[in-house]
Amino acid sequence: MNNIFKFSIYIFLTLSFAWLAFVVGATNQYGDLEPTAESLEEDGSIPPDAELFPKSMAGIAQLGAKEYLSLGCATCHTQQVRSEEAGFDVERGWGKRPSVPRDYILQEEVLLGHNRVGPDLANVGMREYSSEWLHKHLFMPQSVVEGSICQPSPFLYEENKEASVDSIEITNGETNIFIKPSLRANRIVAYLESLHQNYELPEIAFSDILEEDQSVEIASAVAEPETIATAFPSWLSEQMESGKEIYMKVGAGGGLCYTCHQINGQGIPGAFPPLTGSDWVLGDKERLIKLSIHGLMGEIEVNGEKYNGVMAGFGIQAGGPPLNDQQIADVLTYIRNDWGNSASAISPEEVASVRNSVKDRAPNQMWTAAELQSNSSPD
Amino acid sequence: MKKNPEQEIDQSARFAFSFFVASAGLWLLAAALLAYIAAAKLTDPLFLSSLEFFTYGKIKVSQANAFVYGWGGNSIFAVSLWIIARLSQSLVRGSIFLIFAGAIWNLSITFGLLGILDGHMLGHELLEMPKQVWPALLVSYLIIAFIIFVVFRSRKQKVTIAPQWFIIAALIWFPCLFLFGWSGLELNPGRGTLQSILSIWFGQNVIWLWLTPVALGCAYYIIPSVLNRPIDKYYLAVFGFWCIAGLAPWSVVHHLEGGPVPMWVPAIGTVMSIAMVFPIAVASTNFHSTAFQDVSKVWNYLPLRFVIFGTLSYTISSYIGVIFSLPAVAKLTQFSIINEFHFNQRVYGFFSMIIFGIVYHILPQITGREIGTAAKNFHFWTSALGVFALLLAYLVGGLTHGVLGQQPSLAWATVIESVKPYFLITEYAFLILGFSQLVFVLNLWKVLVPNPFASSDRQANLKTA
Ligand code: HEC
Ligand code: HEC
Repeated sequence: MNNIFKFSIYIFLTLSFAWLAFVVGATNQYGDLEPTAESLEEDGSIPPDAELFPKSMAGIAQLGAKEYLSLGCATCHTQQVRSEEAGFDVERGWGKRPSVPRDYILQEEVLLGHNRVGPDLANVGMREYSSEWLHKHLFMPQSVVEGSICQPSPFLYEENKEASVDSIEITNGETNIFIKPSLRANRIVAYLESLHQNYELPEIAFSDILEEDQSVEIASAVAEPETIATAFPSWLSEQMESGKEIYMKVGAGGGLCYTCHQINGQGIPGAFPPLTGSDWVLGDKERLIKLSIHGLMGEIEVNGEKYNGVMAGFGIQAGGPPLNDQQIADVLTYIRNDWGNSASAISPEEVASVRNSVKDRAPNQMWTAAELQSNSSPD
Repeated sequence: MKKNPEQEIDQSARFAFSFFVASAGLWLLAAALLAYIAAAKLTDPLFLSSLEFFTYGKIKVSQANAFVYGWGGNSIFAVSLWIIARLSQSLVRGSIFLIFAGAIWNLSITFGLLGILDGHMLGHELLEMPKQVWPALLVSYLIIAFIIFVVFRSRKQKVTIAPQWFIIAALIWFPCLFLFGWSGLELNPGRGTLQSILSIWFGQNVIWLWLTPVALGCAYYIIPSVLNRPIDKYYLAVFGFWCIAGLAPWSVVHHLEGGPVPMWVPAIGTVMSIAMVFPIAVASTNFHSTAFQDVSKVWNYLPLRFVIFGTLSYTISSYIGVIFSLPAVAKLTQFSIINEFHFNQRVYGFFSMIIFGIVYHILPQITGREIGTAAKNFHFWTSALGVFALLLAYLVGGLTHGVLGQQPSLAWATVIESVKPYFLITEYAFLILGFSQLVFVLNLWKVLVPNPFASSDRQANLKTA
């Protein structure tokens, strides 16, 4: 130990062995993971038309991840569901299954975190929070969860005494105020909504813990009144009702959707694609809003079947009078949540922001599926 | 009058030492303030909530960075410089470069923290300061470490002893850790959770391989030199040293237990954490069986009292740390506020207490001025009380948090409701600690400022910090 060069080299080596083992070892083991299908063929190959998971986040959500990071939300929230032997996370209802490395490969900011003052957020997008609820919570968690110590971010909102187009109402004791989300707030909410490990992978299946009889109890624990009762039902059911009306209605303010997609949302094989279980409906909101506004034509694959038809957009002067942002939001929220579908609600602000991003597109220029799939533009 | 060689060495180190200690003191106050704000926001989330600059997450992260790099870094430079110079019996040369590099170090941290508060935080543990400041930090660090190395190389006595191993190793480890971390996180970032492995590896190792060894080195230095007796079972020290060098870099990843990483990563971490009982036992035996041969001296010489408080706290809480790394226990407490217990016991209960002691030991020798006993005693008792309250609250609070959190039938809000009282205690504890650190800085001020050299340092440092 008296020769400083030798000494330095030894202590450097002790450190670099550990580093090499972790970095090189782990990289070799799973550095080249790719998205894959929920289940593989027998020979280990990916079935030809299978959907691949994980999917990358929409651009707006990726920007939201950066905001989430810069506000230090990860100091209190983890994003990892531990394996069943190592923790109680699945039982707590924080996920349908433990998280695995593959879930994170497409995320630019991996925010596993290691403090849980707040609940795990790896699957917050799967919980039944409307985006309005998430906005209220982001603005002032105490306005929706009594006694919460989640940290408020009122600086992301514009506060008003009067309602405006896309404002959200907050009841604060006697007085009501209206808040208008900034772009940053919308990004964070989009990010939270995109957090879900809602698919199986060849290496991990949904956990069966929750299917045992205790599930009732757990479900009620997860869906505490704090969350659902205060914000969710009245609000969502309103949107659902109005959405259903639009779906069925012929004439002004109606979408006529049922004539093609049918009352049960199953469509007609070979002619009109189904809305139930369709990734176009349940997946990326931005894409869904885009195709609703301008319409869709050309070949599209829905639930593994190919269709080739034309659907005029209902957000722009085409056949009949166009639907406004609120109506589009309602009908889309409706199709995302009926017939066994379940996905987050769509707010008029989201429609407005997408509408704004495509305002230069010619009214009669419909989207094609290929185009929508290739450009998940960031904003 | 001819000075004796020790005085000459002190004289040569005085300038730089005073600068680093004064900067460290100011950072300590900054960190205490941030810690208090963060704690207050936990008890009342609406406190300062309309100001984005003071968001909880940002404050929390900048507090850790101010503490580790501001207070930790500067005090490491100060005590390593002096201890290495004294043990090598050689003069410190190039003080001006030390001050220059020190000023850059402090400025970079200042910018780094402002960057975090302004929303440019990176997502890696203890590497949160924005990219731009790291090159400056690294360069200034290398200058300082290089000068300390030159002092060490010109030592009269070729045979080295324990304090030198620990301190020199810590000085080497930090830049290596940084380069390893940086290469895998920023230069060539690994995909997905590879980043998380490296981030936790870096963040925990900064504590284990930078702060910890320096504090151990200080204890190995001050205990025998004050008590004037050799370290008991000194032959074990070398074993203890290599155990830390060999085990710590592996053990830290046990924090990933059950997470989305390959299973062997946390498994190795857990095994190695359990093996850490050896180096802990060695250090503890060395320190305590030496110190307890002369308890009255330990008690009466305040610097040593601080140091022994630190080593005792190291022993006790490292064992607690081992227990909490066992998978059966980690299942409950892995993500609970026990983590705050681990961090704070290491940086306050252990590292800071030892640094306080050693600084009180060195200052009178360097400046020729004594610090009032009452003031020092007051500092000791308030620190001890603050640390004790803080750690106890985090420990009991963490157990509550973990045990209740494990029951799925309890809503999360209910779980947190039961932890809230402990957050309140920590708020008061941080208040006491902040107060006690203010006393520390005033004590420093009193000895450093009347001195013409030191007062100019002080101003230079006020500008940077
Ligand atoms: C002080 C720690 C803390 C910080 C910082 C924090 N949270 Fe929370 N968070 C909590 C706690 C505690 C809860 C549980 C009570 C509640 O639902 O409000 C929570 C709940 C949540 C929930 C509801 C989750 C669910 O499943 O019920 C969301 C969403 C959330 N936080 C988002 C955020 C975001 C976004 C940030 C960053 C701006 C953030 N949190 C910062 C502590 C924190
Ligand atoms: C004139 C018949 C028609 C009407 C009315 C109609 N659609 Fe469509 N829709 C289609 C066709 C045809 C396609 C496939 C277009 C293609 O092949 O590119 C389609 C595709 C879709 C898709 C994407 C594919 C899928 O099945 O997930 C969605 C979502 C959708 N329609 C929603 C609606 C909604 C909501 C309404 C009512 C507001 C509506 N459609 C009204 C004919 C119609």
